[in-house]
Amino acid sequence: MRLGIVRGQVTLGLADASLAGTTLLIVDPVTAENLEARNGQGGGRQIVVADRLSPGQGELIAFVEGAEAANAYFPGVAPVDAYCSLVVRDYEFKSPAAGTPPGTEGPR
Amino acid sequence: MFLARIDGTLTSTRRHGTFEAVRFLIARRMDANGCMSGEPLVVLDRMGAGPGTIALVSSDGKLARDWLGPAVPARFTVVGLVDRVHLPGRACGGPS
Repeated sequence: MRLGIVRGQVTLGLADASLAGTTLLIVDPVTAENLEARNGQGGGRQIVVADRLSPGQGELIAFVEGAEAANAYFPGVAPVDAYCSLVVRDYEFKSPAAGTPPGTEGPR
Repeated sequence: MFLARIDGTLTSTRRHGTFEAVRFLIARRMDANGCMSGEPLVVLDRMGAGPGTIALVSSDGKLARDWLGPAVPARFTVVGLVDRVHLPGRACGGPS
């Protein structure tokens, strides 16, 4: 799952029947720099995410991508490839870009 | 599968019903030079990984389905904790 900030919603005039009850969120994926800075910025390429948790504007969510996004409709099927799995309450995150992991065997 | 460093933890206000009692961690993928790259990923863990752990993460959702049921909307799962990485060549940020 990636993390994203909810920016808006899409309403469809005509939709596949399997999408009844699903909201479509417009989401900005969050980069590591922005997540660490807690600056409310996304920074990734905006996508549409299927949702049934109703996060508010500006809330941080985690969304699953790929075939697993449709798992939430089991035993039915739905033509979605991104799905809002959770709404974030709080997080801790600190990510130095570089660093040799402990135990790494490099050249001497 | 890929190597990732666990760089954080996360709690939720609302979550899919299959996620009760699941630990969520925030990970960053490691590239071949040991650099962290890409957007942060929320991964499921039941192996006890924590911040600083280097983990092997699978992007296949089968483990999550076996663990939490067929309706679980998740893919990335910690499948192992790394003891040691043999990585000949230049380490990220190290001397060239």
